[in-house]
Amino acid sequence: MSEQTTFVPAQTRSAVWMRLLLWAVLIVFAIWFLLPAYVVVGTSLKELEEIRGGSLLSLPHELNFWAWKHAWSEACIGVTCNGLEPYFWNSVKMAIPAVTLSTLLGALTGYALTKWQFKGANMVFALILFGCFVPFQVVILPMAQTLGIIGITNTVYGLILVHSVYGLAFTTLFFRNYYVTIPDELVRAATIDGAGFFTIFRRIILPLSPPIIVVSVIWQFTQIWNDFLFGASFTTGGAQPIMVAMNNLVNTTTGVKQYNVDMAAALITAAPTIFVYIVAGRYFVRGLTAGSVKG
Amino acid sequence: MASLTIKNAVKRYGSVEVLKGVDIDLQDGEFLVLLGASGCGKSTLLNMIAGLETVTEGEIMIGDRLINDVHPKDRDIAMVFQSYALYPNMTVGRNISFGLEMRGVPKAEREVAVLEVAKMLQMDHLLDRKPSQLSGGQRQRVAMGRALVRRPEVFLFDEPLSNLDAKLRLEMRTEIKRLHKRLNATMVYVTHDQIEALTLADRIAILKDGEVQQLASPAEIYDQPVNMFVAGLVGSPPMNFISSTVTRTDTGYGAEISVRANGGDQPVLLDLSDHPTDLSGHVGREIVVGLRPEAITQSGHSTGNTTQSFASDIDVTEATGADTLCVLNWNGKEVMARVSSGYAQIIEGTMEFAVDMSRASLFDPETEMRLG
Repeated sequence: MSEQTTFVPAQTRSAVWMRLLLWAVLIVFAIWFLLPAYVVVGTSLKELEEIRGGSLLSLPHELNFWAWKHAWSEACIGVTCNGLEPYFWNSVKMAIPAVTLSTLLGALTGYALTKWQFKGANMVFALILFGCFVPFQVVILPMAQTLGIIGITNTVYGLILVHSVYGLAFTTLFFRNYYVTIPDELVRAATIDGAGFFTIFRRIILPLSPPIIVVSVIWQFTQIWNDFLFGASFTTGGAQPIMVAMNNLVNTTTGVKQYNVDMAAALITAAPTIFVYIVAGRYFVRGLTAGSVKG
Repeated sequence: MASLTIKNAVKRYGSVEVLKGVDIDLQDGEFLVLLGASGCGKSTLLNMIAGLETVTEGEIMIGDRLINDVHPKDRDIAMVFQSYALYPNMTVGRNISFGLEMRGVPKAEREVAVLEVAKMLQMDHLLDRKPSQLSGGQRQRVAMGRALVRRPEVFLFDEPLSNLDAKLRLEMRTEIKRLHKRLNATMVYVTHDQIEALTLADRIAILKDGEVQQLASPAEIYDQPVNMFVAGLVGSPPMNFISSTVTRTDTGYGAEISVRANGGDQPVLLDLSDHPTDLSGHVGREIVVGLRPEAITQSGHSTGNTTQSFASDIDVTEATGADTLCVLNWNGKEVMARVSSGYAQIIEGTMEFAVDMSRASLFDPETEMRLG
């Protein structure tokens, strides 16, 4: 008994020190990573004079949303001065159909690859997987030609097609790996029950898929919303997505460099992806690991 | 209800031949068990009957309809899977009615049918639950209900009890037997559990390496196994195999073995005079005498007229409740004997055993086939 009372505090003391050290390191790194975010938010809320006069790290004197309003609806991008708003909606019109299409097609492909094993299914999967490693730059030229032939260059539809096709490799990978864990006997049972390929998909497989759908949607939305290269390559002027427009906004200077507007524009541009992460983020990790854990 | 005919069924995956020409003829209402170790092709055969695997060669017929190229849903079969394969996103009621729904049965009719089956399986209070909220036994019932509700011509079971614990397995086994009696349906049941096979089947087909070794009633399989594989597979503990040589005796034939008794090896001549097999052509040749543990028992117990008694040392005893297994040493190998539990107190020592040679199976040691 006495042995225990002397032994336990000693261990606790060193454990406390370890804890403190751990917390200290974590806090230092948290500050390190949060500092840029703080600077961006802080600067977007300051007036220009304040930025020029004060320190980068000082708090804004008052919450001033002028820069946000300006970036949204008044800032000049190239020669037009309508702010980011039209481009924001361009991106929405591009991202939502492209995410939906690539997720749905990925689910269908993953389902066909795992539950309707045809000869060479694994080969097909390997080839699709290969698509994950093809850099964007490689496909630009052939893609531009394809869009030209179809006649949807410089349109949102063109970008929807590009992103759907390019995203298919990733979404197929997600769904294929998830569907591998669903027992084949379910499909066999449904086949004997009289359900066909699409009925089984719709009635049995899709209702089991929400975790991986969330993963696919977050991944695809982030990829498509944040894409710059395809947007810059295949669209010009009014058809551009917000990511390209923001770049142009920052590069368009008339006299004074408006850092607060640039920061606000960056935050507006990043807002939808942040929103998606906050809403569905916890399902994201769960969905990513769901494939590896049985049941 | 209908008969099931399998004619020379062959299944090949590339160059690998999984089934090498299986012939099985099943009467209407018969219960067939496909028994074999894993990889023997029994599940493949079942899947071929179900239509989940194609038939490489041969014919499968339900009634007089050739079903080789008929879609599973049009074969009028139902299948119960080892993992139950319940649709996790549907309630029990929907699970059972899904097959009817796919066949376009009106909702009102479906509900009546589901309720009837649920009552039959005593699970009408579970209809609104999801499979994840059910115990193993309940899931098993739902899987059965899903098969029953369609009233198919042929029921197929793919090791349906192997995921259950021992007690529940016994219960469900009885339930399946009762169901078969009640529906009088044709059933094909795959298992690797020989006790399940013996208790359930009208006939058992024993498969090994894609070939049917023996297709016969449980009694025939047990008493007259066609080869040493079948003899060793069926029965627990398995049949004892004792190597010996056929000799001519005054009264007929015999086979000499050495029995460990009173601490030393004693020669004993097993008397084969009254054995139904004609051994005239085997004198001087080696044979394997197959004796089930219950054919070796305490002296004075057996009633067979071909019983002979001799002493043997008991190495170890294992009480199983109803009777006790004694491990003896014959020909330097372990031999199991089954004595009634009154003798369970004997742990070691020498005891007089009676051997019923009329129940012995004789095998050729080279071909491993039954003699006679």
